[in-house]
Amino acid sequence: MDYRLRLAVRMLSNKKGSMAAAVLAVSVGILVMHVNFVIFQGLFDAFVRDMSDYRFGDIYVTDEENYITKADTVLVGWFERMPYVEAATPRMSASASVNATASVGRVQQYGVPIVGVDPVTDRRASGIHATVFEGEYVTGRNSLVLGATVARDLGQIGVGDSVRIKVTDRWGQDQMKRFPVTGISGTAGGQGLDSSMIMHIDTLRDLMSRQGQTDSMLVRLSEPEHSAQVRDIFLESFPADDFVAETIEESAEESLSGFRSGIAMINMIGMFGMMSSAFAIVTIQMMLVTSKTREIGIMRAIGARRRDILVLFILQGLVIGAVGAGCGTALGLGYTFYAKETKMSFDGSIELEVSYDWQKITQTALTALSLAIVASVYPAYRATKLQPVEAMRAV
Amino acid sequence: MLSVENLGKIYGSGSTEVRALSGATFSVERGQVTLVVGSSGSGKSTLLNMMGLLDRPTSGRVMLDGTDTSGMGDGRLSSLRNSKLGFVFQFSNLLPDLTVLENVMLPVQIGGGSGRAEAERLLETVGLKDQMHQRANKVSGGQAQRAAIARGLVNRPALVLADEPTGNLDSVTAASVVDLIKSMASRLGQAFVIVTHDREQFGEVDRIVTVRDGRVMQEVAA
Repeated sequence: MDYRLRLAVRMLSNKKGSMAAAVLAVSVGILVMHVNFVIFQGLFDAFVRDMSDYRFGDIYVTDEENYITKADTVLVGWFERMPYVEAATPRMSASASVNATASVGRVQQYGVPIVGVDPVTDRRASGIHATVFEGEYVTGRNSLVLGATVARDLGQIGVGDSVRIKVTDRWGQDQMKRFPVTGISGTAGGQGLDSSMIMHIDTLRDLMSRQGQTDSMLVRLSEPEHSAQVRDIFLESFPADDFVAETIEESAEESLSGFRSGIAMINMIGMFGMMSSAFAIVTIQMMLVTSKTREIGIMRAIGARRRDILVLFILQGLVIGAVGAGCGTALGLGYTFYAKETKMSFDGSIELEVSYDWQKITQTALTALSLAIVASVYPAYRATKLQPVEAMRAV
Repeated sequence: MLSVENLGKIYGSGSTEVRALSGATFSVERGQVTLVVGSSGSGKSTLLNMMGLLDRPTSGRVMLDGTDTSGMGDGRLSSLRNSKLGFVFQFSNLLPDLTVLENVMLPVQIGGGSGRAEAERLLETVGLKDQMHQRANKVSGGQAQRAAIARGLVNRPALVLADEPTGNLDSVTAASVVDLIKSMASRLGQAFVIVTHDREQFGEVDRIVTVRDGRVMQEVAA
């Protein structure tokens, strides 16, 4: 072992208080970054996960002309023959006004979104059926599942109650139909169809006079990392159509760009936290240099060059950074593990999508290590400025 | 081997100016033991620091093996201190974070070598072989001073400079350190310049330089 490294380690191990403080500063900086990542990136990923699961799939297909006129069976069949595709399902959407008679009296809601689903393919391509916590999912043409928010706004409508829906069809005519409520759907975090109503797609097509048309297609992949590839093949396969196909990343980017900016800002705050740990290291290293003035003088007297002294104290920074990065990363991984295993959520809200981003973990550890080294440069430089005779006079 | 010519050192300036050394001229030859004596504050440690290239003179020059060191940069001076000079200080000045052996090895390691074998041999010579793995701050003052002498010799320097090497020791330990220095000088053929205020303690030496009020007053071949 190089004598400077040995001396750096010994000096630190004989100043346990200073070492502990410096390591703690680095570790806390890293832990803050990990906690930020688990919470905010976890929240972002959870939103993306739920958006993918309930509303967009891994690939979301629409048409530039508002409605897809190609038969949904053709498209579902095409997708399901593709590698990596697990399922595809058509969706239709509209807006309706809803009347209900509840215990509080007659309640009317305007502009409630309706989502038409194919009960068979939708169960395979989407997870929305699993969000029905009361009653059952859409099974037939007369089924109607209310989002929990809609049910509440209509006066705590429940399964078995009936509602009357009014939709304006493609010709501008109002179409009304009464439905029994067959299920109530709700999701933690409200990323599902909590503010919508769900019915059979053919019923909605009938109400809108848009038989054979589809508003969008959700495509679920077995290996979502191939979504861009599948999307490209799809678009190339239907060049004459005006399809628009987006991966969930693209769909989410549009919806969550503000959130992503927020994460970037939070990460920046975390980085400032880590930088403040660098200031702590500067202070501690300055104290170490002061307490080791005499030893520096001795080393200089017996021939150590300024460069050796510089290297010695930078190695101290390296040791502090390495131990701090190790401890901080271990603490951070511990927190991440805890968050993942306990399916962490806050106040019953959306469950965080916790992941181990090894690139970010490594990046954070290396940043902390680099900061510790950089923070040691000034104290080390100060140490090199000590003259041997004056340094040896220090008590 | 080492000579100083018209060496002077002034600390401070203006009203706070202190002339610590003035016009010192003498030389040291290989294998000689030279005592630099004088009362406290006479300038003998200042003289030794400049001879050891630890401090720069205000005037005059230090010649080492015929080379003028006055224009040399810090790196070159460090290199010369490491390769040609050995130091023994009053308060042993071992690094407390290292073991006795690691302290003795240090000058060689600074120079890029290992020095373990030589350090072990020297520690055996100074009677510290059984203490060599002790932390430097765990050994007695006398043992630490013996270790410091071993450290001063480990690089086989041509000149060893000792500043009050017995100043912090009891009389028995001091006598043993003096014997050690003399025996090392005769066995290894290295020159020793020893600053002391206790001339008697060292008995017979090759030369005695007396410093008084910053001036070399007397240079006597003993």
